[in-house]
Amino acid sequence: MTQTLKKAPAEIVSEFFAAYRKHDVAGMADLCADNADFHYLPVEIWGKQWVIRGDGKVNGIGRVLWSGLITAFPDLSNEVTSLSSAPDGTVVAEVMLSGRQAGPWGAIGNRGQQFTLPHLFVLHVNSEELIDSITAHWDNASFYRQLGHAEVD
Amino acid sequence: MTAITEAESRTAATAAVLADEFLAAIQRGDLDTAFRSVSPAAEVVIHPAGQAGGAEIARDFFREALAAFPDLMLTVTRRTACSDGRVLIELTFEGTQAADFLGAINQEKHLDVEQAWLLATRDGVITAITGFWDQNKLYRRLAVKRLDRIAIA
Repeated sequence: MTQTLKKAPAEIVSEFFAAYRKHDVAGMADLCADNADFHYLPVEIWGKQWVIRGDGKVNGIGRVLWSGLITAFPDLSNEVTSLSSAPDGTVVAEVMLSGRQAGPWGAIGNRGQQFTLPHLFVLHVNSEELIDSITAHWDNASFYRQLGHAEVD
Repeated sequence: MTAITEAESRTAATAAVLADEFLAAIQRGDLDTAFRSVSPAAEVVIHPAGQAGGAEIARDFFREALAAFPDLMLTVTRRTACSDGRVLIELTFEGTQAADFLGAINQEKHLDVEQAWLLATRDGVITAITGFWDQNKLYRRLAVKRLDRIAIA
């Protein structure tokens, strides 16, 4: 369905990544609907009898992951390299995330390494000009290698 | 007020058809038909494979994938056609390994991994192909233990 909004979905998504650059997690969440869906597909943490996936809500696992990443990479930044909008309010964003590790990230101890990693984000902006869904794709193998972590876990 | 113009909607619709036909041909294993709609000068980047170049890079990738996974199933989970002629295809890449793939030796494991393929189109031709997925998840499914020893089970 085609949307008519005061603010273009791409503009709202640009504000989202600007807030991310400022490490303003509350600001990022404020641009999202209260029950916005969150899918970080590469997040998959395996235990002996369980697996935790990066699926849930922005105001649940989303905020936890964003805050944790900013803590582990205090100079975390992003550069939006392309934005494309669909008539239904979906925005596809190619984003380069980068930062230097200063603390543990999950099972990966801090070796002080720098990473630069291409991401693909798919965000949907609803008729109330709020992001109601965020999906992200990236390659953890490249991320882990750059951090000096060689185990496939 | 922002709104998608009729011309932008037409661009998105045309691009969607092109992307659907491209993927359907790959699914059939008909790479000749699939790549007839790809410009020889297309810019291809397959981030997790560390490959970049022209159309032949993408063709080689799919040729290797079809050979390594003879029962390959590409199940589209979302297709997003954008007003600028770009199309995002999110899919599950699924099959049983029957030959080495991207350095991982064949252990006859079942693979299922989410992928995102961003296609740029112009004037009825695919002009760029960019692939995203988590290679760490792919290696985990194929029983690779370490990123610095991909070919060792």
